[in-house]
Amino acid sequence: MLPAWLEIIIRSFSLIVFLMVLTRLLGRKIASRMTYFDIVFAIALGMIAAAVSIRLIDVLSGVIALLTWGLIGMGISYLSLKSKMVRDLVHGREAVVIKHGKVMEDQLKKMRYTPEDLLQQLRSKQIFNLADVEFAVMESDGEINALLKSNRQPITPKHLGVQTAPETGVQTVILDGNILDEPLTTMGLNRGWLRTELEKIGVSPENVFIAQVDGMGELYIDLFDDTIQIPQPSTRQLLLNSLEQAKADLETYSLETDNQSAKKMYRQSAKELSSVIYDVRHLLK
Amino acid sequence: MTTYSKVQQTLVSLKSAQATLERYALIAQDEKARKTFQRNVDKLQSTIDRLSQRVQTMEWEEPQYKGF
Repeated sequence: MLPAWLEIIIRSFSLIVFLMVLTRLLGRKIASRMTYFDIVFAIALGMIAAAVSIRLIDVLSGVIALLTWGLIGMGISYLSLKSKMVRDLVHGREAVVIKHGKVMEDQLKKMRYTPEDLLQQLRSKQIFNLADVEFAVMESDGEINALLKSNRQPITPKHLGVQTAPETGVQTVILDGNILDEPLTTMGLNRGWLRTELEKIGVSPENVFIAQVDGMGELYIDLFDDTIQIPQPSTRQLLLNSLEQAKADLETYSLETDNQSAKKMYRQSAKELSSVIYDVRHLLK
Repeated sequence: MTTYSKVQQTLVSLKSAQATLERYALIAQDEKARKTFQRNVDKLQSTIDRLSQRVQTMEWEEPQYKGF
């Protein structure tokens, strides 16, 4: 017969391994996204395991209980993947708690949610004024997500009617002094291009800690040596400036010349330029 | 600076702007942006053509500028 302490150690150890396998099989879920049901399940499994480990119940009944809970858990999670009905039944469904700016008291009561809870949840989303909320949903894990009234929503470029340059992904092309070929290829660039760009700034690849290229082929770099000042990319602004400058020049010429046809030509060109500037401005900002 | 050399300077800076736009037209990742750049490269081309014609006329009218 083993001494009691050794038995406890062995039991605990094997249970930890057993639980590790079991929880893997039950599927992964972020702790904060767990529904009430998930939490109940996790606690039950933990308690059975703990009870076996300190010899409150014998190993056989403990393992049987764990297996039963585990199998049922797996069954339910499989079924709830397959069927919406099971999902709603097991995990509960989301409920609308604020509609058209009015609190649905019945729904709150059904969910055992006090008005204080509601306000607290809204406050944690930086909403202090109930009047700002148009619509709010309680998710199955009890969290509340709110849609603000349209005049309370943060301003986006669309609201202002401003065109913005499309934000295509940024690729990291140098890490720790090593040139990464794959991201370069994705951007349709190569090492030769990168070398030229770095030469323009006056650094060698080995001195670069991180280098990124944005969707317009503009290079941003961070050097190992932070005391060295490197110019920030400004080609776009410069291009815009030179277009504006050319337009202003053309307008001046049109005023200065006495030749009627030249006057017309300059004016026409200036007009064309301003349409070009209008067209590309949002891409160069 | 004479008008002639000023116009020529504008022409050169327009050409350089066009080249930069052309580079963006090749490099930009967004399809729509690429098209916008290409469209404006073409638009600039007609302006550049007209301006270089004007430069030529000025050379012809005032031959002393020729060769600058």
